[in-house]
Amino acid sequence: MFNKEMKPEKFKDAETIIGSSVTVKGDFHGTGNIIIEGSLEGSLKTDADVYIGEKAQVVANIEAENATINGQINGTIKISQYLALGSTAKINGDVNFQELSVSRGALINGRLSSHGAARNKKNNSTDKKEVLPEEE
Amino acid sequence: MNIYIYDDYLNKPKYNRILSRVEIRLTDLSLNGKIIRLGAIRNVSDVIQNEIKNGAKTIVAVGNNQTVSKVIGAIIDNELYGFFQKNVLFSIIPIGEDNSIADSLGIKASEEACNILLARRVKKIDIGLINNYYFLNKVSLPSAGAVLEFKDGFSLSTDQKGVIEIFNLRSATNDDKRLKVNPIDGLLDIYIKTGKNIKDLTRLTADSLKISTASNELLVDGTLNLSAPANIGIVRGKLNVVVGRDRSFD
Repeated sequence: MFNKEMKPEKFKDAETIIGSSVTVKGDFHGTGNIIIEGSLEGSLKTDADVYIGEKAQVVANIEAENATINGQINGTIKISQYLALGSTAKINGDVNFQELSVSRGALINGRLSSHGAARNKKNNSTDKKEVLPEEE
Repeated sequence: MNIYIYDDYLNKPKYNRILSRVEIRLTDLSLNGKIIRLGAIRNVSDVIQNEIKNGAKTIVAVGNNQTVSKVIGAIIDNELYGFFQKNVLFSIIPIGEDNSIADSLGIKASEEACNILLARRVKKIDIGLINNYYFLNKVSLPSAGAVLEFKDGFSLSTDQKGVIEIFNLRSATNDDKRLKVNPIDGLLDIYIKTGKNIKDLTRLTADSLKISTASNELLVDGTLNLSAPANIGIVRGKLNVVVGRDRSFD
């Protein structure tokens, strides 16, 4: 499922690929899977998945359904489903996700919050608690 | 009725033999029609408009990429075209060099083009537009120093040597087979290739963009040189084309 670069097979035919020699400036809102190997300044948004390569330099807020990050991000990251941080990931910004995996070596400087955890906490607080009789 | 538009360069003696073979094949296949020579007319658009009014069903460009550019522009800029579009087909009989457009449409050879015309396999395809010029295949330019601006509010640039290619239609033979290009989706397919052996690839799609480049060299369909800056767009489903089986798209 994952190759050495933690690039899932589904990115092989990504709609949008930004190569390592290219700089993107502005609000980059795409559809379909997006691969960033170059530089991005602004914002990045897609209703599908994002792959940030090891040499990518991103100064942008990112929103996606799933993401795999191996490069440097300065900005907030909001992932509705699954976020994977590779060993070379460097994040400066707050991160919000449903599920998270972090490889050894990844650097995160910001708040981590899971909307999955928030939902579980809310569900738990409404559960009925069983009351046991006191022992005499 | 079929209208065959011959480019001027076909008057050279070296093309006599192939033209003769093509004309014999068209006769054998009962595809005769009216021949119009580009050099003999001043206003191609008016001539084509008259032929369409008189019932022409297929306009065939006989020549190369430049011939196609001249004829396409004359067909589409025609005030009647919108009314007759669904009944008028376009095709190509490629003769000589610089025939990447015919190749993209699966029309590889002159005499084979006659058989393809008879088969009448039709696709409705998009057409690219760069400033006031139509193009079928692509616009290409050197990548170093080029800036591509998109209406969604972002821009792309690179300082690396390489090539930028903005495709409507990919040549099946001449263009990189890694490239996925769809001429019937209403979008331009933009590729930036840089690096050693041109391994670094950037790919995205858009329906319009503006190009600025320091080098000022924009090559349209491999034949026409234009200067930057240029606005590039796409006109969706504008042309009904007769195509061959070995075309570069589905």
